Amino acid sequence: MTDQLGALTTIFTEFYYWVTVVLMFLIHVGFCMYEVGASRYKHHQHTLMKNTMLIPLVTVTWFFFGWWIYWAFPTGPGIAPSIMNESTALITDESTFSAKWYLANTEYMAINLGDHISGVFWAAFLLFSWTAASIVSGAIIERITTFAFGILAIAIGSVFWTIDAAWGWHFDGWMLKILGYHDAYASGVIHAIAGGFALGVLCVLGPRIGKFSSSGEPRNIGPRNPWLVTVGLFLIYTGFWGFYAACNIPIFDLGPEYGMEGVTYWTATNIYVTPTTLSGITFNFLMSLSGGLLAGYWIAKGDPFWTYSSGLAGVICASAGNDLYHPIQAMIIGMIGVVIAYKLHYWVERKFKIDDAVGAVAVHGYAGFVGLVICGFVLNGYPSSGYSVGAMWDGTTYASINPLGQFLGAIIMFGVLGMLPGYVIAKVLHGMGKLRIPRDVEIAGLDYEMMESAKKDERAVSSATR
Amino acid sequence: MATVTNWIDHLSAEEVVGAVYPGAGSMETTLVIIGVVLWLGWHVLTAKSESDELDRLSRKRHGPNDHKSNVTEW
Repeated sequence: MTDQLGALTTIFTEFYYWVTVVLMFLIHVGFCMYEVGASRYKHHQHTLMKNTMLIPLVTVTWFFFGWWIYWAFPTGPGIAPSIMNESTALITDESTFSAKWYLANTEYMAINLGDHISGVFWAAFLLFSWTAASIVSGAIIERITTFAFGILAIAIGSVFWTIDAAWGWHFDGWMLKILGYHDAYASGVIHAIAGGFALGVLCVLGPRIGKFSSSGEPRNIGPRNPWLVTVGLFLIYTGFWGFYAACNIPIFDLGPEYGMEGVTYWTATNIYVTPTTLSGITFNFLMSLSGGLLAGYWIAKGDPFWTYSSGLAGVICASAGNDLYHPIQAMIIGMIGVVIAYKLHYWVERKFKIDDAVGAVAVHGYAGFVGLVICGFVLNGYPSSGYSVGAMWDGTTYASINPLGQFLGAIIMFGVLGMLPGYVIAKVLHGMGKLRIPRDVEIAGLDYEMMESAKKDERAVSSATR
Repeated sequence: MATVTNWIDHLSAEEVVGAVYPGAGSMETTLVIIGVVLWLGWHVLTAKSESDELDRLSRKRHGPNDHKSNVTEW
C-alpha cells in the first residue's frame, strides 16, 4: 500500500471485519451458556464440551476445504454460468475471486503483506459456520455422542452451509441469477438450513428418555438454569450485531463496480454488493427484535424461555430483507415469524414426536423459512443483485426478487441442503452404532464418571473447616 | 527457514513479496498434509476413548437419580 487514502480504506475494512469476528464470538459463548442452562445437571459438562469442540473442528475443516467450497460452487456447478468466466464449471480458474486462491496451501491463506482482507473475511464466514453448527447442537443435547456431533458439525459448518452460501449469498451465485434469491442477513443461508439440518438429525436420533409419556403426550423438560439461559440469549443477541455488520461490505464505490461511467458512489453494501447502510439495518435489527419479543411474550404467556427465543426468531425472520425493509415492516415480519414458529414447534412435537430440546428448529428453521417467503412478497420486484443492472453472459439479467423464487429458495435451504443431508448422515452414523449414547448412560448421566471421580475430593472440601 | 532476513531490503524491493511466514513457497502443502493427519487422528483417538467410556458406564447400570450421590455440595 503506497497511498494513504487507499491504505486507510483497506485497513478500515480489515479492522471492521476483525471487530465483527470478536463480536460474533459472543454468539458462541451465548450458545454454550444457553445449552448448559437448558440441560440437566448430570449432562452439563458433556453438553458444554460438545458445543465447545465444534470450534476447533469447524475451524480446521473450514481452513482445509470449507472456504474453498464457497468460492468454487457459485455456479452449482452446472446450473448457471459465472459472470467472471462464463463457465458453469466449478470456479477454479485464474478469475479474481476464484477458489484457486483459497486452497489451504496457497500463500493467501496465511500472513501476506499484500492481502489484508482474506484472513478476516475467512474468519467472519467461519463464525457463521460455528453458528450453523451450534444451532444444531442445542436441539440434540443429552443423547448424542460427541463423535457423531463432531461429524455433523463439520458437515453443516464446513460443507452444506458453505454450499448454500455459494449458491445464495455469493455475488455470482446461481440462485440469485435464476430464482432472484435474496437473503441479506441469512434467514435461510444460516438459519433455515441449520434448523432443517437439526430436524433431519432429530428424526433419526429420537427423543430424550422421558420426553413423551407412554401414550405419546409430550412432557415439558424446562431449562434447569433459566438465568444461564437468559444470559446466553442476551449474549447471542449481542453477537448478532456483529453478525449483521459482518454481512455488509463497509465501504465500496459502486460507480465503477456497476460500470456507470463517471459515477462515483461510495456506500456500505450488503453481501450482494447492493447499497444499504449500517444505520438503516440498525433500525431494522432493533425493530424486528422488538417485534419478536412482543409476539413471543404474548403467545407464550410471558414464558421467559420462549420470549427470549422469540426475540431471536423475530430478527431471524426479518433478516432476509432487513437491508431494505421499513423498520415497522421489520417489526411486523418478526411478529409473524414468531407466531408461526411457536405454533409449528408444538404441532410438530406432538404430531411427529420430535424432541427439539431448545426449540432450535422453530427459532431458526421455521422462522428463517417464513422470513424468506415473506421477503419474496414484500421485496417483490427489487433487483436481487448489484450486477442485475448490467448485461450478463447471454444478454439477460439476474432475476428480480419474487415470491416463487424465495419459496423455492426456502425449500432448497431448509429441505435440500438442510434436512435431507442431516437425515442421511444421521442414518449412516446410526447404522454404525455411533449416533446415540447407550440408554443406560443417558439414564445415569453423561457426566456420571467425572462426578464420581471428583466425589472424594469434593466431599472432603465441602466438610473442611480449615 | 527464514523467509525475510532484512526488512529494509524486503520492503524496498521493486516487488514486495507478501508471504513472509517461515517456509513460504515450499512448505505449504506439507503443512496442510500434517494438519489433515492431525485432524483425522484426533477423531480416531477421541472416538475410541468416548466409546470405551460409554461402554464402561453403560455396564454399571446406574439409576436415574444415582448421580445425586456424587453431588456433595448444593
